[in-house]
Amino acid sequence: MEKGRERNRRGIRGWFDPTVPNNLERWAYFFQRLTGLGILAYVIGHIGDTSFFVGGPFGTGPNQSSWSFDLSITENVVGHLILIFVVLIVTFHGINGIRLILAELGIMVGKPSKIEYPYRPSSLRSVQRHIIWVAIVLAVLAAIWAGSILFG
Amino acid sequence: MGDKIMTERKIMMIQYVTGILSVFLVSVHLLYQGVIVPYEKAISFSQVLSLYRHIFYGSMLEILLVVILVHGFNGLRIILLELNQSQDWSKAVDIITVIATVVTIAYGTRTVILAVFGGVS
Amino acid sequence: MSYVKLVVQRYDPERDEKPRFQEYIVPYRKGMTVLDAILYARDYLDHSIGVRFSCRMASCGSCGMKINGKPALACYTQVSELGTERIVVQPMDNFPVIKDLATDFEEFFEKHKELMPYLVREDRAEQENPKSEYLMKPEELERILQFTYCIKCGLCYSVCPTVGTDKLFPGPQAIAQAYRYVEDVRDEGGETRLNILDNPHGIWRCHFAGSCSAVCPKGVDPALGIQLLRRYVMRGKAPRKKGEGSKPFTK
Repeated sequence: MEKGRERNRRGIRGWFDPTVPNNLERWAYFFQRLTGLGILAYVIGHIGDTSFFVGGPFGTGPNQSSWSFDLSITENVVGHLILIFVVLIVTFHGINGIRLILAELGIMVGKPSKIEYPYRPSSLRSVQRHIIWVAIVLAVLAAIWAGSILFG
Repeated sequence: MGDKIMTERKIMMIQYVTGILSVFLVSVHLLYQGVIVPYEKAISFSQVLSLYRHIFYGSMLEILLVVILVHGFNGLRIILLELNQSQDWSKAVDIITVIATVVTIAYGTRTVILAVFGGVS
Repeated sequence: MSYVKLVVQRYDPERDEKPRFQEYIVPYRKGMTVLDAILYARDYLDHSIGVRFSCRMASCGSCGMKINGKPALACYTQVSELGTERIVVQPMDNFPVIKDLATDFEEFFEKHKELMPYLVREDRAEQENPKSEYLMKPEELERILQFTYCIKCGLCYSVCPTVGTDKLFPGPQAIAQAYRYVEDVRDEGGETRLNILDNPHGIWRCHFAGSCSAVCPKGVDPALGIQLLRRYVMRGKAPRKKGEGSKPFTK
């Protein structure tokens, strides 16, 4: 029985589930998680990278040659593409995060009401859903803007 | 972040506050580094040095460092706690994420301190 | 359409190593539900198909399953609305399989019970032997009414991404029902429920994926209940303390 019990639990693959109808929030949940992990990885890398401004792990103060060395590694097409991607995911994560904070405090999720068939849950047709689209659009615009700055 | 030291409610309050602060501070950081100051200039040695040594911008970088890492590692902790529910795992996740947060903040803070007070070479 | 190809996921945890699919040809008739098709297959083609059902009218919450990959009540899903002759039925995710389409609700009901899905009064003697009804205004009823329609079918639980990995998370059904009682003006057990939910595997592990509300066949909107309840947990304060519930009706 235990084998069957565990077999049917969805596990991590349940993070992404496009089969649930009318559920943009599920996509937002998945990408919020993924972008969060991506941003954390970038931030850790960025802290390591900027430490070369002071000569790296064993530096003692602002060091021009160390910083030039660092820029020679990060300032190229690949580095700029990573930066554009970071702007994309940071913008999405930030705006969607604000949506989640507000929603999780009961703001913009609608309120209980008398329900009639066909049922349309108020939480899934409230303002919060529009903000997911705002997050997507602004993330793309921010990435385009970053691209124009880095490659313009 | 252990559940005995702090209730989950307080941890989540910190998560929300650091999240909102991160959005604000990252926006300022990105806009300043790419829009207000042209990108090429923004990454030059002299400009970066002057930013670190600017009382407001330097302080902002330090605050950003703390809030984004607390938020990020607590987010990681939440994801990891959901993957396994044994006591050992929970304890290990709490301890490792706290240590990772402290170590990363310490390393980033060292950069800020050396950039502000260290001798230029 | 004169027939449907019903593909049933077969799995007996006692005997089988892994699930397999078995196909049945079922004659179609107008108004046929997926449950009708399964019962035809069970009655006339293969008596060994394991399925749970009871009311056949979306009231008992027994026949939740995945129909063509989507969680739904089999009795509430018309074959015609699926728009395909091939219908694949599988047990709900996140529930242990007893046999084929029948799943084990033990863990689900345990979590539901843990959050005290009943009125709690400070005066236990009066609660056990009430002399009259407790008062409640219509607008107060409206705040909880939609949550009382829950039939405990488990569809919300089966799609919740947190339940998929976190065995200790109570799940959308139990938390939404906790909200239903915390918000009920006749109840005085709110603070106890909030304390139960404020833990590393409690209410905070809901990330508002909203799938629970998207699949609920009764319009309960568990995601809404959870978010509204979270406000109280965040404040660390229930809407009423002990002794502050509505008073028994007196003439």
